[in-house]
Amino acid sequence: MKKKKPLAAVEPYLWLLPSILLMTIFILFPIFEVFRTSMSEVSKAGLIKGFCGFDNFAKVLKGSTFKLVLKNTLVWTIAVVVISTVFGFILALVLNNKFRFRKAVRAIVVFPWATSLIIQAGVWKFIIDKDYGALNTLLMKIGLISSPVNWTPTPEAYFAWEIFVGIFVTVPFVTFCVLSGLQSIDNSYYEAATVDGANYWQKLFKITLPLVKSSLTVSTVLNIIYVFNSFPIIWTITKGDPASRTDTLVTYLYKLAFYKGKSGEAAAVSVIGFLILCACASVYMVLSLRKEDED
Amino acid sequence: MKKSRDSKSILLRVLLYLFVILVVLVTLYPYFVMFTTAAKSRAEIYATKGTLLPLNWLWQNFKDIWTLAPLSRYFLNSLIVAGGSTLIAIVCGIPAAYALARMKFKGKKIFLGIVIISQMFAPVVLLVGIYKIMSTFGMTDSLVGLVFINAAFNQAFAIWLLRGTFISISPEMEQAATVDGCGKVSALIRILLPVAAPGIVTALIFVFINAWNEYTVALTLISTDVLKPLTVGITIFNGYNMVEWQYLFASSLFATVPVVILFVAIEKHLVGGLTSGGVKG
Repeated sequence: MKKKKPLAAVEPYLWLLPSILLMTIFILFPIFEVFRTSMSEVSKAGLIKGFCGFDNFAKVLKGSTFKLVLKNTLVWTIAVVVISTVFGFILALVLNNKFRFRKAVRAIVVFPWATSLIIQAGVWKFIIDKDYGALNTLLMKIGLISSPVNWTPTPEAYFAWEIFVGIFVTVPFVTFCVLSGLQSIDNSYYEAATVDGANYWQKLFKITLPLVKSSLTVSTVLNIIYVFNSFPIIWTITKGDPASRTDTLVTYLYKLAFYKGKSGEAAAVSVIGFLILCACASVYMVLSLRKEDED
Repeated sequence: MKKSRDSKSILLRVLLYLFVILVVLVTLYPYFVMFTTAAKSRAEIYATKGTLLPLNWLWQNFKDIWTLAPLSRYFLNSLIVAGGSTLIAIVCGIPAAYALARMKFKGKKIFLGIVIISQMFAPVVLLVGIYKIMSTFGMTDSLVGLVFINAAFNQAFAIWLLRGTFISISPEMEQAATVDGCGKVSALIRILLPVAAPGIVTALIFVFINAWNEYTVALTLISTDVLKPLTVGITIFNGYNMVEWQYLFASSLFATVPVVILFVAIEKHLVGGLTSGGVKG
C-alpha cells in the first residue's frame, strides 16, 4: 500500500501524457516557431538568419495594406458572427415549434455545417458569376430580372457576397446550439407565465433568453474564433484580390508566407492575430470558469 | 374574441410554414445547383442562355471524373487522413478525458484552460510554424504529417466531448469493479467505454468529418498530386483558363454526400455534447 503512493501522485499526469505530447509537438512547437520567426530576419528560402527585434512588425504595420486588411477582418468577423447569431437564434425558435416534417427540416438545415467550406465556396462562386451564374439564370426564369445582373461590380460587392457565404455556413451551428438549450427548458415555466398573463415577448425576454444565454455564449465565442480564422471562403472566391481589398488577416498572411516568401512578416501578422483572439479567449475563460464555480 | 385569436394563430402558422419553406429552399439551393450543373455539358454551362435543369442529363460526367483525375487516389488519401487522425485523436483523448472527468489533481483547471485556449490557434494562423516543424520531421509532403496535424488540432474537441460524456455517467459501477480487484484501465475499458459508446461515436464522427473537410493545411503541405486529399485534389478541375464546373461539382458531390449523411446521424448528440462540455468547462 505504501509503495503505491508516489505512483498515485503522478498517475493522473500519465493519463494525460499522450494528449499532452500530441498537442505539444504539433501545436505548441509551431506556436513557438511562429513567435521566433516573427522576430527573426528570414531569407526568401525560409531560413532564419538572425534576431531582428520588432522589424517584421514595423514592416507590416508601416504600409496602408495592413490597416485595410485589419479593417476587412473586423468587418468580416463582426458581420458574420452578429448576423449568424441573430438569424440562427430566430431559426432555432422557429424550429423548436411542432410542425410537420420537423425532423427532415432539421436534418436539411444542418447540411451547410457538414459540407467542406471549400466546396460550399466553390458553388457560391459559380452561383454569383455575372456571365453564366446560376442566380441570374434562376431570376430570369422566374421573371424577376430580364437581363443578367452583375452581382459583383466592385471588390466591396465581392466581399459582401463572401460575408453572405460566411453567414450561410455559420447559421446552422448557432441554430443547433440554441436548439439544444431550448430543449432543456422545462415547459412549466411557460405555463406558469401564461397563467400570470405574460405575452409572447415577455416570455421570450424573461424566460427563453436568460435560459439559452450559456448556449449562445458558447456558440458566439467559438464562432468569433472560427470566423476570424476562416480561410477557404475568401481564398476560393477572390483570393483576397484585387490589391488586398478583400483580404483578411489569414489570407494576407498566407500570401506573405507562401507567395511572396516573407515568412517573417507573415509570422508577425499571425502574432497580431493571436493577440486579438487572446482578448476574446480571456473573456471566454473568465465566463466559463466562473460558471464552473457556480456548478 | 375566440374567433380572432383563432385566425391570428392560423396566420402565425402560415407564416411559420412560409419561413421554414424559405429556409429549406435557400439551404438546398447550392446543392441543387451542384447536382444539376454536374450533369450538364460544358457548352451548356457556358452558354449565354442558362438553363435550370440540364437539357440532357449527362450521367457520364459522374463516371468520367474517375478517369480524368486520380479521384480514387484522392478518396483513399482523404480516408487515410480522416481515419488516421480520428484514431489518434480518440486514443489520446480517452485517457485524458477520463482523468479530467474522474480524478482530482493539481493543475486540472490549468489543463482545461489550455485545452480551451488551444481552440484559438487554428492551423491557418500557425501555418508558418507548422511548415517549419514538419520540415524538421521531413513530413511536409506526407499523409502521416497531415494525420498528426489533424489529430492534434481536433484533440481539444475530442477531450471536450468525451469528458462531457464521462461526467454524465455515474462512477459507481467502475468503483465497484475496482473494489473487486479490477484495475483502473480494465474498469475503463470493460465498464465505462461500453456505456459511453454513443458519446465516443459522436466524437469519432465529428473528428472524422473535420479532418475530411480540412483544406488549408493540406493545400500548404502537400505538393505531390497523388498525395492530395479530396478537398485539394478536386481543384484540379479549376483550370487557369476555364473551370470545368461539371467535373468540379460531380466530384464535390462524391466528397460531400458521405459526410453529410454521417453528420445528420450524429447531429442530435453532437450539439448537446458541445454546449454542455463548454458550459461545464
